[in-house]
Amino acid sequence: MLGAQLALNAVALGAAYALVAIGFVLVLNATTAVNFAHGESVVAGGFAAVALTGALAMLLPAGNAIPGIVLLPGVLLLTALLGLAIAALAYLPIRNRPPVSVFVTTIAFGIIVTNGLNAAFGAAPRAAPALLGTGTIEFLGVTASRQSLAIIATAVVLIGALAFVLQRTQLGRQFRACAQDPEMARALGIRLTRITLLAFALGTAFAGAAGLLLAHQFFVTPSDGAGLILKAYIAVVIGGWGSLRGATIGAMLIAFFEVGVASISSQPLAEGLLYVAVLLVLLVRPDGIFGEPQRLRA
Amino acid sequence: MSPSQHINALQIEGLTVRHGGVVAVADAALRAAPGAITCLVGMNGAGKSSLLRAIVGLAASEGDISLGTRNLSRLPIEARIHAGIAYVPEGRRVFPGLTVGENLLVAGPSGARLRRQRLDRALDLFPQLRPRIQDRAWQLSGGQQQMLAIGRALMAEPDVYLLDEPTLGLAPQIIDDVAGSLRQLAEEGAAILVAEQNAGFAERVADEIVTIQTGRIMPDRPGRIDT
Repeated sequence: MLGAQLALNAVALGAAYALVAIGFVLVLNATTAVNFAHGESVVAGGFAAVALTGALAMLLPAGNAIPGIVLLPGVLLLTALLGLAIAALAYLPIRNRPPVSVFVTTIAFGIIVTNGLNAAFGAAPRAAPALLGTGTIEFLGVTASRQSLAIIATAVVLIGALAFVLQRTQLGRQFRACAQDPEMARALGIRLTRITLLAFALGTAFAGAAGLLLAHQFFVTPSDGAGLILKAYIAVVIGGWGSLRGATIGAMLIAFFEVGVASISSQPLAEGLLYVAVLLVLLVRPDGIFGEPQRLRA
Repeated sequence: MSPSQHINALQIEGLTVRHGGVVAVADAALRAAPGAITCLVGMNGAGKSSLLRAIVGLAASEGDISLGTRNLSRLPIEARIHAGIAYVPEGRRVFPGLTVGENLLVAGPSGARLRRQRLDRALDLFPQLRPRIQDRAWQLSGGQQQMLAIGRALMAEPDVYLLDEPTLGLAPQIIDDVAGSLRQLAEEGAAILVAEQNAGFAERVADEIVTIQTGRIMPDRPGRIDT
């Protein structure tokens, strides 16, 4: 029974990490550049939830708890706008320069976000409300955290909606075409800049949603971004560079590893051993466990 | 559709393309007429691909490119495509991870119904692709990929098709199929400009042959190709 609860916790954590990793891959595929401000976008999502909670609390009668799920549309919108700002300021002006330029501009953007949040909210940890209340419920004979189930359900809906758009719509086809051969996509009349902006908006909104999901259980501080981008990066490396499916599986593996090791030792040891495991994986399989050819991207 | 007055001719005047300091195409003039196949023939490095890429907007150029009365020279790539130009590059460059159907649909117009109609038209022109519609493009043979690339161009129903070395690496039977499809598109009224090294193919399909050597269009030498 304890094993089932741990597994559920791991799936919930993995679902949130998957949102981060998928957002990272969306931008990576559209631009072939790494957005190093992505971790800060997760943090921004957490703080957007904190700010929206404060704003709504002023509008509602005292004592009314605001469920986190109500905040989700607002968090998605605000972080999508943040993504557009990253694209407009840190990517589009230098997209024809060497990729290292984008590394530097997005790192700089991330630092600006961190300091901005520090100035606005302070350095102390803050928490977002639970998605659908706290406590536990009986689910398939397992005592499950309400928040864990809500995280999983939210991530499934968001990832399912994204998969539908990518696989079933003209916009999704255009998106995947740009990921595979941007020049040829342009030569078919597809507006690459529009797709790039969309990738940043969607990718950052996914990061923001993860921020909302994680900021209840793990709290959020302005300086959390570095650890989160690293996990997204690891998920993508393990899963196979550029693959959305691989990123999701990579995120789940990280979460199971962390929860599993932490349950028998400690969180810091789990994090340390995670990097050891990643190094070993890459020594054996440099293309990642689920590495796949570039042709199958997105 | 018969050769139509609504379809515009592609006209190029004084087109120069530079790669760094090297002149790839110098002061080129060319006309691709509606309802006709114009073959631009020349050896490797003669400037054929550069000229086609300049027309699409993939290579920077000086000079005038017009479609009918509309000057395209200052327009970005996307606007040139929407104006009525379609490009089939050397090496096909189909989207390998997309299915055959998706490769065609992605190049189609707005409106699902219209896209489906165009898809049917492309598959009528290349019936060999119909049973492969759910397969990923990388699973196709070279010849099938070439058909897919031409079918993808057809999805926009352009005035002008630009094809860069469409017979490269294809078996003779497939080359015949490609020639037949180009002839059909021309008969439907489109202007077809084909860059080719394959002199036999050019002589067989072309209504007009233009020779390019070291970036310069040669004076008229109809019917003879020096390679």
